[in-house]
Amino acid sequence: MLLGWLAWTERSVDLAVLAGLAVVVRAAFIPYVLRRQIRAFRWRMRERHAAHRVTGHALAAVAVAIVAWFVFQQTLASAFPQVGGALPFVLLLQGLLMLATRGNTIVQVIGYLEEENAVVYAGALFAQGFPLFVEVVVFLDVLGVVLVGVILSIQRDVTGTLEESALEELTG
Amino acid sequence: MTVDAPTLALFGLLASPSAAALLALVPNDRVSEASARGGSLAAFLSAVFLLASGTSGQWGAYLGLDPLSAVFLIMVTGIYATSSWYSKRYLRSVHQPFLTPQVYYALVSAFAFSMVFTLVVSDLGLMWIGVEATTVASALLIVLERKPSSVEAAWRYTLIASAGLTIALFALLLLYTSTGTLNAFALAARPPPATLPVEMAVALALVGYGTKVGLFPMHTWLPDAHSEAPSPVSAMFSGVLLPTALYAFLRVYRVLPAPAPASIRYLLLAFGIATALVAAFLVQRQRSYKRLLAYSSMEVMGIAVVGVAIGGVALYGALLLLLAHAFAKSAAFYCAGNVLRATGTSKIDELSGVGRSMPWTGAGWLLSAAAVTGAPPFGTFLGELLIVVGSFEAGLPWVGGVVAVAILIAFLGVNSQIGRIVLGDPTPRAIAVGAEREGGFGVAYLNLGVALAIGIASLPYLSRAVVAAASLLGGRGP
Repeated sequence: MLLGWLAWTERSVDLAVLAGLAVVVRAAFIPYVLRRQIRAFRWRMRERHAAHRVTGHALAAVAVAIVAWFVFQQTLASAFPQVGGALPFVLLLQGLLMLATRGNTIVQVIGYLEEENAVVYAGALFAQGFPLFVEVVVFLDVLGVVLVGVILSIQRDVTGTLEESALEELTG
Repeated sequence: MTVDAPTLALFGLLASPSAAALLALVPNDRVSEASARGGSLAAFLSAVFLLASGTSGQWGAYLGLDPLSAVFLIMVTGIYATSSWYSKRYLRSVHQPFLTPQVYYALVSAFAFSMVFTLVVSDLGLMWIGVEATTVASALLIVLERKPSSVEAAWRYTLIASAGLTIALFALLLLYTSTGTLNAFALAARPPPATLPVEMAVALALVGYGTKVGLFPMHTWLPDAHSEAPSPVSAMFSGVLLPTALYAFLRVYRVLPAPAPASIRYLLLAFGIATALVAAFLVQRQRSYKRLLAYSSMEVMGIAVVGVAIGGVALYGALLLLLAHAFAKSAAFYCAGNVLRATGTSKIDELSGVGRSMPWTGAGWLLSAAAVTGAPPFGTFLGELLIVVGSFEAGLPWVGGVVAVAILIAFLGVNSQIGRIVLGDPTPRAIAVGAEREGGFGVAYLNLGVALAIGIASLPYLSRAVVAAASLLGGRGP
């Protein structure tokens, strides 16, 4: 929506195409593939002790948001006075938190997408005229498609599910 | 219209791996193999020409070369060439590979192209795209052997490296907002004032690109990807991917007026020292020899980052270390690949005495293990020595002491374990290996020779370029 608004105000065809691409890839393609993957997907689907950690994850997410906002106000708020300027930083850190603390593959994809969205949002909000902005966002979309479409499919097809013993090689 | 020789060489540098990647897709194994070998040799010769001619400057708004990029180009194209050469024998031993030889060679060339692209662009945004493209091109190479652990390693690599690079992109956004340009050459010629947003951009770039360099604590993808990838690709990961990511950071670091603010230098020191020490200790407890080599690479990267932080002669030492390490570590991975092909295991406990049945590979492996851990007279020794001496010169003797301890611990860990595998009492698995017939050690000895030459001789053009590259970053030659 932000990209669409920017495209309208700046009368930019590039940004309009980018907004369309964002809708197609982020709002339609990736959620569609993820939904299909979840049905047939057993690889790292379950997390150890996930059920009783929901509250902990929610509390951690709130704590990270508060810390990110506080750090932004103390360091970068004067350089980025735009309304909602702290939001991309909060999203970035929450995405990182999700990647670092969750073992479920699908959740990790969502964490990565959250990070990606934070960057696109920050680029649109702060750095209008950022060179290669369109190319960078398209590239991130390509990577998202590769991540979701290719590697998840390989994970599903190679063995179906992940056994602890299969990961012995990755210890140490 | 006439085109001058350096422009032609630059074109050749970019065109060779990309053409090789396309040609490799022709459905004929020989063509695929020849395209990768030919493309990599052409790219290497172009890099040598650019280094020898001392080419420096910009081509349009987006391409640029200087001694720093020239030194890294030699590393990348050199290892691309030897890995392409070594791949044929290795691929023959992989049962039911996930990728056809066509796709494998196409991805290897695309991987090399993305690194070359990173090194020849002058725009930091394009450089970021280049580093991110290395992830896309190389992730599928990790799953060649179709094992669950390989797929898991590819997954971790893609996710962690991409997450780190997102932080690097944030750094570039900050930098652009503060300076209004992302042209690395223009920013280095007229450094902006070291304001808080600029310093934060450099710090975030360190964390972001540092993830791909393998700095602690963002290193967790590194041992998995290096150990699960096929050996020729592991050689490219360890030898040149990590330095390429460090190069991207150095371009952002160079935006700061020299000497860099103390806060940034201490941040670099903290990351470098922590990485070198953690890796040196982790080397001791490895059960897989490929992970052992991966942690050794991590330790070297940590020491190189310390050299960058100290500056002066230590920075020259860091560049020399990266250069010699690239050739020595790739030699170690080729030898490890030979042993893996012959024995079918990468577990240290299951192997002992392989040197009896594989004397050439065994000797090469022992020498390359000594070379990667900084034994004299290899170039890595000279590089590490200069970093330690540089830290004393800079009035930071404790840094020199800690670095020396990390070097010693890693040296003992790597050499004792590889020494036991090669020279110990033969285990049944080692005895079962037939006499060495297939070869595959030639490229290892070639690269080992380069690492040795860097240490004992002033190589024409290269030594001069390394001094010039160090000067660009605020360092100096010995």
